[in-house]
Amino acid sequence: MMRAVLVKRNEPRYEDEKNELQMNELRELAGAAGYEVISEMTQTRNPDRKYHLGRGKVEELAQIVSDLKPDKIIFHNPLSTMQIYNISETCRCETIDKFQLILEIFATRATTHRSKLQVELARLEYELPRARAVISILKKDERPGFMGLGGYEDSYAQDIKNRMTRIRNELDSIQKDNESLRAHRHSKGFSLAALAGYTNAGKSTLFNALVDETVESKNMLFTTLLPTTRSLKVRGRDILVTDTVGFIEDLPHWMVDAFRSTLDEIFLADVVLLVVDSSEPFEVIRKKLLVCHETMWDQLQEVAIVTVFNKIDLITDEELREKMDSLVYLAPNSVAVSAKTGFGFEELKEQIRNLLPEWKRVKLTIPLTEEGMSLVAWIYDEGLVHDINYTDVISIDFEARDKVINKAISLVNELL
Amino acid sequence: MFDIIAVDISGRHKVNDEYLMVCAAVAASVTADHIEKVNQIVLRSFRSKSAPDVPFVVKMVETTVSELQFGGTIVTEAGDFYNKPQWLINSMFTQDIKYQESLSERRCIEIAHHASLSSRKLLLKELGIQ
Repeated sequence: MMRAVLVKRNEPRYEDEKNELQMNELRELAGAAGYEVISEMTQTRNPDRKYHLGRGKVEELAQIVSDLKPDKIIFHNPLSTMQIYNISETCRCETIDKFQLILEIFATRATTHRSKLQVELARLEYELPRARAVISILKKDERPGFMGLGGYEDSYAQDIKNRMTRIRNELDSIQKDNESLRAHRHSKGFSLAALAGYTNAGKSTLFNALVDETVESKNMLFTTLLPTTRSLKVRGRDILVTDTVGFIEDLPHWMVDAFRSTLDEIFLADVVLLVVDSSEPFEVIRKKLLVCHETMWDQLQEVAIVTVFNKIDLITDEELREKMDSLVYLAPNSVAVSAKTGFGFEELKEQIRNLLPEWKRVKLTIPLTEEGMSLVAWIYDEGLVHDINYTDVISIDFEARDKVINKAISLVNELL
Repeated sequence: MFDIIAVDISGRHKVNDEYLMVCAAVAASVTADHIEKVNQIVLRSFRSKSAPDVPFVVKMVETTVSELQFGGTIVTEAGDFYNKPQWLINSMFTQDIKYQESLSERRCIEIAHHASLSSRKLLLKELGIQ
């Protein structure tokens, strides 16, 4: 296991609680990336241009590094290229920031072609603004004269841009395939539900329990990096439930862009199940819900949201009621469940059913012919049949989407 | 459902040596993710020779909100108050105020933003200011 020293610069205006939460998250992220945390260091001050921390603090960090010999120094705060270079030089140890750490996690877990491309794109987007500076720093001693190395610097940045364009094109074509798959699923009468929420809220465990699946679920950040979709029958309606990657605070927009195709599963769903870990302290839940609202805000169009208070087996009824009442302004259509024990699943399904796009109920009379029978079979596929009687004709009472009903009526008219 | 008043100010930049601002307040009933009803919208224009500081922004918001017939918690973007901490801004107001949190609050502020921006454009056109 690799060993790391965690470093965080606290904003002078931030409360201790917030600082502790952010540090805790960094600890969990480091754990998820496979690092053993051997030491931690914090300093409350405004950022220093050269070292981010104060010069004295960096020297203290260098001392810790020479004593403990960690593999990496991980900063919570975003660092500039110069700061990374200066800290690495002073401490003689590889230095990364939180975003690079998240990228590392994504890179180690990426298994499919698509997720590998997304990770590569996110990495290049991160690298692009730094490309020129990196070359400039590395080749500092080799400049032959006026305007030296300009060519190298440009060509490296250009190379990154070219690679990004290639990856984007490839991702676009995968995206189109997914969109047509989604449209196909809609046309086949499936409604789409997506599990969204802060990372480690228990989305995968809930997904597994709901659809009886065995997707990997762990008490770890970013266990899920690839959306998985399974079907679920809710009060006669077929829906497709998708398990997605979790949100995290301060996720930069370029990273959201890189993982857009993953997040699209959420943004294009009919119902979003916003999963919350109700066993956490009130203030933590509130902050995490805020991050979810913020992440969904730009992308989410009029989509119904069900807030799922998960892990209720870990708290008392009174605590749960208190939390749900206090968070009502951030938690639409709340339902309390325990993915572990299965408590509340019926209520959750009822809530999902109520929020699915409306289906209409009609009665049709279809001639009892071969074409009529195939039409009945098609209606069985596309809708929910409540009653059917075979006499001289077929009387069918069914529920379906507008499009299906209109098509059925026009087909009946053709048959008459 | 909760009653909120979403507020947005447009025009916090210099035009013809002065600041011509329009403040919009939208009184609405909302749930966590939807706006149920927009009850009233009030628009008010303000002029200033100097850039608006926090006390002036507070005054603009309070003046506009006082003209509404509906009550509720005032909701704004943190940027409207130069990202000052919430407790500091709370202490400057006579009414409840908070920074935007839920989807519906953000949506309401978006409405206030469109209202203030478009009415300011109209006002500038009427006044013949480019």
